[in-house]
Amino acid sequence: GTTTLNVPTDQVDHLMHQVADEAGLELNMELPQGQTSTIGTPSTASEQQDELSQRLAQLRQM
Amino acid sequence: SSDNMSGETGDPALTRQRAYQKKAFEFISRALKIDEENSGQKQQAIDLYKKGIAELEKGIAVECRGHGEEYDRARKLREKMLTNLGMARDRLDLLETVLASCSDDT
Repeated sequence: GTTTLNVPTDQVDHLMHQVADEAGLELNMELPQGQTSTIGTPSTASEQQDELSQRLAQLRQM
Repeated sequence: SSDNMSGETGDPALTRQRAYQKKAFEFISRALKIDEENSGQKQQAIDLYKKGIAELEKGIAVECRGHGEEYDRARKLREKMLTNLGMARDRLDLLETVLASCSDDT
């Protein structure tokens, strides 16, 4: 037979974020540049490298 | 024990990559802070860039060949570190050139 799951969408959403956090994935990767640059110290390795890229690029333009 | 609660492979190479990345980030962000403030302490920024670059090189040298998301992520991180290695070296060259020309004036 088939199995029907009725999971509330917000629960699914929450779980997805939880999994993404644990995996260090970036769900908000498509955020426009500049909006992310002023937020405090980035927490994931990938975000930390992104921040270095942005700041190095800015210095290059000076 | 071989228990792995997190569900990750626990590959020590990937752990090392992360550790080098973290050190590189710490050194280079400190260098950038001094550099951005334009406070004239360029020699200090140069030293920090050099330390950060050394950590990036070690991180990039870590083998991350393998299958699965964890390795895909490690390879993406490696790409980003390569980009930043190039940019940090460029910046370091520029600062050293500037500093050298300043001392020539005296």
